[in-house]
Amino acid sequence: MKRALHAEWTKTRTVAGPWWLLLGAVVLTIASSALVTSLATCHTAGCHTDTTRLSLTGVHLGQALIAILAVRFLSDEYDSGMIRTTLAAIPHRPTAFAAKAVTLTGVVAVAGSIAILGSLLAGRIILPGNGFTPAHGHPALSLADWPTLRATVGSILYLTLIALLSLGITAVLRDSATSTGAVLGLLYLFPVLAQVIDDPHWQRLLHQIGPMSAGLTIQATTDLHTLPLTPWAGLGVTAGWAAAALAAGGLLLHIRDA
Amino acid sequence: MRSTPTHPEVVVAGLRKRYGTTLALDGMSFTVRPGLVTGFIGPNGAGKSTTMRVVLGLDAVDEGTALVGGTPYRDLRNPLSHVGSLLDASAPHPARSARDHLLWLAHSQGLGASRVDQVVERVGLTSAARRKAGGYSLGMRQRLGIAAALLGDPPIILLDEPFNGMDPEGIIWMRGFLRSLAEQGRAVLVSSHLMSEVQDTADHLVVVGRGKVVADAGVADLIAAASGNRVAVRTAARPEAMALLSHAGATVAASGRDTVTVSGLTADHVVTLLNRGAIPFSEVFAHRATLEEAYLELTRDAVEFRATSPEEVSR
Repeated sequence: MKRALHAEWTKTRTVAGPWWLLLGAVVLTIASSALVTSLATCHTAGCHTDTTRLSLTGVHLGQALIAILAVRFLSDEYDSGMIRTTLAAIPHRPTAFAAKAVTLTGVVAVAGSIAILGSLLAGRIILPGNGFTPAHGHPALSLADWPTLRATVGSILYLTLIALLSLGITAVLRDSATSTGAVLGLLYLFPVLAQVIDDPHWQRLLHQIGPMSAGLTIQATTDLHTLPLTPWAGLGVTAGWAAAALAAGGLLLHIRDA
Repeated sequence: MRSTPTHPEVVVAGLRKRYGTTLALDGMSFTVRPGLVTGFIGPNGAGKSTTMRVVLGLDAVDEGTALVGGTPYRDLRNPLSHVGSLLDASAPHPARSARDHLLWLAHSQGLGASRVDQVVERVGLTSAARRKAGGYSLGMRQRLGIAAALLGDPPIILLDEPFNGMDPEGIIWMRGFLRSLAEQGRAVLVSSHLMSEVQDTADHLVVVGRGKVVADAGVADLIAAASGNRVAVRTAARPEAMALLSHAGATVAASGRDTVTVSGLTADHVVTLLNRGAIPFSEVFAHRATLEEAYLELTRDAVEFRATSPEEVSR
């Protein structure tokens, strides 16, 4: 396993593609978080804005680049045929797949931490200027505040789970374009469906089972009783999706011809 | 799980594999022995690449076994130090340099960068090693694949169509290189769909068609078998000679502008008949088949799609 990890790390660091995608995910997350935060204002006491959640909005967009990175982590090898070289070098397929998953988790966790902490910092700097002041009931965002810490750590975990979900789906579908389409569809389809369906019962259900809408409840810090799921249960749903995709992908990788 | 094979041999026994309605492998069996270059020859679609993928544990079979040094490939630890391979259509990532491609492979086996530099030099890629593999010619990519196969200094080397895309200089280099690998005592299997690519290099030939072995013999034996007891006649009066000899009960075929190949008659008998019929001839000699002819003979029934010659159409 150590050698397989070393090989995967060498693969990752010797092409520019993953680094550009990681950089893109960081920049896009922080920039879109900052943009949304700068548009929000609070003129009186008692505006019920969840400022932590607002500051982390960029995850909605940044996750797309993380998903593309994760798909390409594996699909590049199928596109070029290099997967055969990989599996000839590491014939124990669970080891080969686990090495990919661990390496991916590592790089996404680091980039995700930068993206999330950067977004939170941007919120901390921007919000007071827009009226989110202690006088209006909004103290500065701080990791010493447990719900904010939960949202921050949870968002980083969320991004790694999206990466693993994407990796699992790619192991099933193997083709870059198909896998990218399937992952992005899975992420954004549930929220879109919830928008167009009027029935509140169905809306609630879609929010509870969608990997993105359920998982991002981890970012909520206020009015938790109005959410369709508790924050950790929501992240658990995303983890369930990721685990199912990894299990299906790992199984198919194990039994199919390379 | 044994980590060191006692005999560096590849033993393929009774492989059967079906893709939908196509029977890709139909009882493929042969052995690749150490110290020899074994040519693995057959038309496209005969099952050569599938067999190699099965030996490397990449594809599963419905029936049969493939062992390298007595062990299934998938049970090998650090497999590249047991078996080196070059597969058709398994390209490196186009944005990664040759050296980095070899580096991750080396790391997967616990080897270091110094071994990478050695194999790069061995295949003559040193000056291009830091360039992106996407800009390589097919011949350079083949050399990179050979370097990857040599990385673990394995006693068994499997190369699928290594001559593809090589320029004449590369082909000559490859031939000498394959010979040197065998002389070092390695078991070398080289596939090709062209007999001419391997005939001067291989010691032993495994000829395949439609998923099974149609001949498994030394090069000299194969030529002798294909030559049969045929007699060739060089004559300016080819049509007359053919009519006379076939009338005498021989099977006759035109084999050149002024030559006829005869089977079913001895050379003496042919000379007597031609003299009696007053047909002029300049030469009567024992026919010696080329390896190419032997190959065509063996695989004639095994070619899935064959062009019909104009003569056959007009008949």
